[in-house]
Amino acid sequence: MSIARISADTAPPEGFEKLPAPGVQYRMNVATASSAPWVDANGWRIDRRKARGYFYDVTGAAAALSAAEAFAYDAEAVIHTDDAGLKSFENIAGYLKRIEARPLPVLANIGVIDDGSESTGEILNLLARRNLLFKIVSVADPTRLNLNIKPDATAAQNPSMFAQRIRGQLTDEKRLLRIYGSEVVLGRLTGDGARARLHLLNYDSRRSVPGVRVRVLGVYSKVAGVEAPLQDIRSDQVATEFTVPEVNVYSVIDLAK
Amino acid sequence: MKRRTFNQSLTLAALYGAGESVTERHAEAAALPERPLYRSVTKFQHAPPPFSRPGEVTSVHAANSINVESEQVNVPVMREMMAQGMRSLTGDEQTRDAWARFISPADVVGIKVNCSGAPGIMSTPEVVAEIVNNLVAVGVAPERIYIYERFLDQVESVHYDRYVPKGVHVEVVELLRRSILRYDPDTYVEVDFFGEDDTRSNMVRMVTERFTKIVNVPNMKDHGAAGVTGCLKNIAYGNFSNVARSHYREKTNTYSFIGTLASLEPLRSRTVLHIMDGLRGVWQGGPFSPTRQFRFYPQQIMFGTDPVSMDRLLIDIIEEKRKAEKAISVWDHSIENIRNGRERFLREPGHIEYAGTLGLGVYDIAKIRKKNIEL
Repeated sequence: MSIARISADTAPPEGFEKLPAPGVQYRMNVATASSAPWVDANGWRIDRRKARGYFYDVTGAAAALSAAEAFAYDAEAVIHTDDAGLKSFENIAGYLKRIEARPLPVLANIGVIDDGSESTGEILNLLARRNLLFKIVSVADPTRLNLNIKPDATAAQNPSMFAQRIRGQLTDEKRLLRIYGSEVVLGRLTGDGARARLHLLNYDSRRSVPGVRVRVLGVYSKVAGVEAPLQDIRSDQVATEFTVPEVNVYSVIDLAK
Repeated sequence: MKRRTFNQSLTLAALYGAGESVTERHAEAAALPERPLYRSVTKFQHAPPPFSRPGEVTSVHAANSINVESEQVNVPVMREMMAQGMRSLTGDEQTRDAWARFISPADVVGIKVNCSGAPGIMSTPEVVAEIVNNLVAVGVAPERIYIYERFLDQVESVHYDRYVPKGVHVEVVELLRRSILRYDPDTYVEVDFFGEDDTRSNMVRMVTERFTKIVNVPNMKDHGAAGVTGCLKNIAYGNFSNVARSHYREKTNTYSFIGTLASLEPLRSRTVLHIMDGLRGVWQGGPFSPTRQFRFYPQQIMFGTDPVSMDRLLIDIIEEKRKAEKAISVWDHSIENIRNGRERFLREPGHIEYAGTLGLGVYDIAKIRKKNIEL
């Protein structure tokens, strides 16, 4: 897992894809809490693996988030940023260096046959934002995946509704990951059946999230945050839950059976 | 959105059904109340109440209990209202004995105040202070008394600490808005109202881990979503996280959500007494009261162990005032009110009757026995 490097260039290196700045936009609408904040996350773009690396041109706290995002998705990244961004990057880089490498395969139970289109990209985005863990596949794999999706033109008409239907078909009980208490924390789960690593990214990089409750499908007897104390760790017959009392930009939790 | 059951095996086609749109979902939201699928999770069992009078409500009225110009409380009159109300409720001759029916010195008591309309309207500090005085009188140490509400900014403006003995706690659940740390992760209601991802509403941790008894102190208020807000809403929405998600556009789900929350143990069993503070009230725009425009002064306090009966009577109080002010009925469920901007939500005063069907109390007005005391 490599840590992003800082560049003074404003142009991406050759072969690198420029990504939008990760972050969150709060929409102050009428009618309360169903107006969820809009999260700009790039994990799904990285998952498409169309480039050999990724370039971020960001400012301030977004530099730390960019570095964390690339690290969590195991992607090579270059960041161009301002002075405030350099400071935030240094803080996160120190943390990233202390995280023991643990290469594990991505865990997902939704397969998406990706045609590379913008509309499918939007669906991937919406799945990621809902922590509906997917992997991009070339053919359906019903033996390993609960759900296999090939979006078509009708899905493109209303990607949000489509993503919601995917959730409905999978059912919340089968979701590999649930995050309660925040709409701006996205997760990425890797594992091999015996061990797992959960990456939590807080897309509101300007402030920490005062606690999230996490549910991971699978019964794990050992659960520990990397430099992040956990609370109320519980397991039942099917899942493991715990509270992360504070989610800064990035938190890593290791689980073992 | 209704969940449909799909075949879980290999699915290659898009799942999106042609023709459905956000507009249709909007129309769906305007239909009669639905009952979403709730999953209630708790390890606590129901415990018999220390004292129970289903269907019985005592109301004490005193015309000089509050100065309607200055909103200053007449404390001696209010204290007499409290004393007579409690004695009438229990039938005891001594006020201390009336309180002792509910509370023992070993209890840790939570006083659930309502500050959602503060500083315009809230559980009156003098009333809360009198409750504390009575708890201390039956032997509860101040350190075992907690005045609590969910949000810091609402409580801060009231300064309950200035009215109560040293040692009494004034606690807030969300020191930072949306913090989950003071909610019990193991006690919750799970429901998906509108496709939101965070489907849990967790009970306040103090309720499950600290309090042995709760005294509920709501106000007498109209409520734009629930119709009225009294005992049930203060107990329900006031003791759980992540409840605002029940509202989307004009649909509120309060019809079934309030009772479902209020009936979850141990909240249900530990809430032993309801004292509805009606020195002030709000007849429109509730639960808030930023100006005095919609405030009124019922000058009464209601006492009971039955939140459904008390709230049923509250409907009449609010309705009578609204009728006098030529406002629409809280029962008016016309979507036209939404379209023309008169109302923001479809009100659900039916939440009280629904709570009655969950066994939380007596709703039938013919079966409610109200004692009126005039000071």
